[in-house]
Amino acid sequence: MTMTLQGRLLEVGPTDNTSDQRTPRKRLRLIPQAARESFVPYIPQQAVTRQGENDLTRIAPGAPRAQGTPIEVSGRVCTQTGQPVRHALLEIWNANMFGRYTHIEDHSGIQLDPNFLGLGRVTTDDEGRYTFWTISPGAYLARPDIGRYRPKHIHISLSGGSSRLITQMYFPGEENNATDPMATLMGDAFERNVGQVYETPHIDVHHGYRFDIVVGGRNATFFED
Amino acid sequence: MSANDKQNMLFPTNEDTVGPYFPIYFRDERLEDLTSIHPGLIVAPEGKHIILRGRVLDRHGDLANGVVMEFWQANAKGVYRTPAHADNPDLDPWFNGYGRLRSKAGEYSFRTIFPGSSKGRAPNITLTIFSDGINRVVTQVFFEDAEGNDTDSLLSSLSEEDKPKLIARHDGRTADGAEVYLLDIIMAGDQETPFFDDLVS
Ligand SMILES: [Fe+2]
Repeated sequence: MTMTLQGRLLEVGPTDNTSDQRTPRKRLRLIPQAARESFVPYIPQQAVTRQGENDLTRIAPGAPRAQGTPIEVSGRVCTQTGQPVRHALLEIWNANMFGRYTHIEDHSGIQLDPNFLGLGRVTTDDEGRYTFWTISPGAYLARPDIGRYRPKHIHISLSGGSSRLITQMYFPGEENNATDPMATLMGDAFERNVGQVYETPHIDVHHGYRFDIVVGGRNATFFED
Repeated sequence: MSANDKQNMLFPTNEDTVGPYFPIYFRDERLEDLTSIHPGLIVAPEGKHIILRGRVLDRHGDLANGVVMEFWQANAKGVYRTPAHADNPDLDPWFNGYGRLRSKAGEYSFRTIFPGSSKGRAPNITLTIFSDGINRVVTQVFFEDAEGNDTDSLLSSLSEEDKPKLIARHDGRTADGAEVYLLDIIMAGDQETPFFDDLVS
């Protein structure tokens, strides 16, 4: 049996208005082979990280601790062939323990924490590993009209070489996981986006979440031998 | 890659939406203007300066606020800075070809150099879009009256109706010494911009 290759038809996240407004409705087009290489952006190494930028639990090294439960998040970034994604930049953002972002466009009015920005950066090491600390974020009401919460999550944007991924780490056992529009679209694969709890020897954080990241798609492995 | 290798592939982490709050804090102005390295430096990339400008619109024709746009292109001589071309003498030491901006209101303006033709392709810029409620989508932007548009493999794969949706219009104006090209991106609806699948293709 042969199947004709065709591009994906993207799905709209249920109960998600912006998803309805912005999701392309036509099937994605296939890229002709002669044009394929031009669709592989190669992101130059960006040495932007500064001391302390992987500790989101403080605004600056030595500054007071933010409110809430300090946690560690760590893992290894690799391609689908298992090759480490070295020296990639992770840009991290999450809400404070009350569910509020410090972003200028978050008009929810939820309580801010003067000791929490919720913004961090870290680069992966020679083996593709990363570690950062943050405050366990609060769930926040995304659709007040229907009472739908966004489950606790941490946003991670990863750029390095031909690997490009924007994703979110979710937390195990959260009741709101089941109703999240984008998580719903992931189906059983949602489990891959859930951090796994571990005990950490660091006394400065309560516990850790292991979040290994596998960058999918042909671009990530395009320049592998 | 053989079918056997494919079976040994690790399962990918799911892409997820960037959400509405991609941090403006992470903005890097050097990625919004690729024509200059730094105002204090005399070195700069070769090539004609252009500004690619437009709007990102949603299904209802409203501006899509909070959009992250990434750009990827060859240098003026048509060479991409990738490991495949690491030894190419036509690499421009002052040009990486990667840009990024976050548009607050859905309007964008990206200053760069006019890309050269690469491997018989028409000049183009690969555009990646991240926005609330969607995952990464990609397409390619071409330029009105550019040499090679008629024979470009990607443009040729599109219907006559769809081709103009990816060709930026030459505005005829210049701004700060750069020629202006205009292109609106329409995320969904009747006039939807053609997007491409770089996972399946
Ligand atoms: Fe969020």
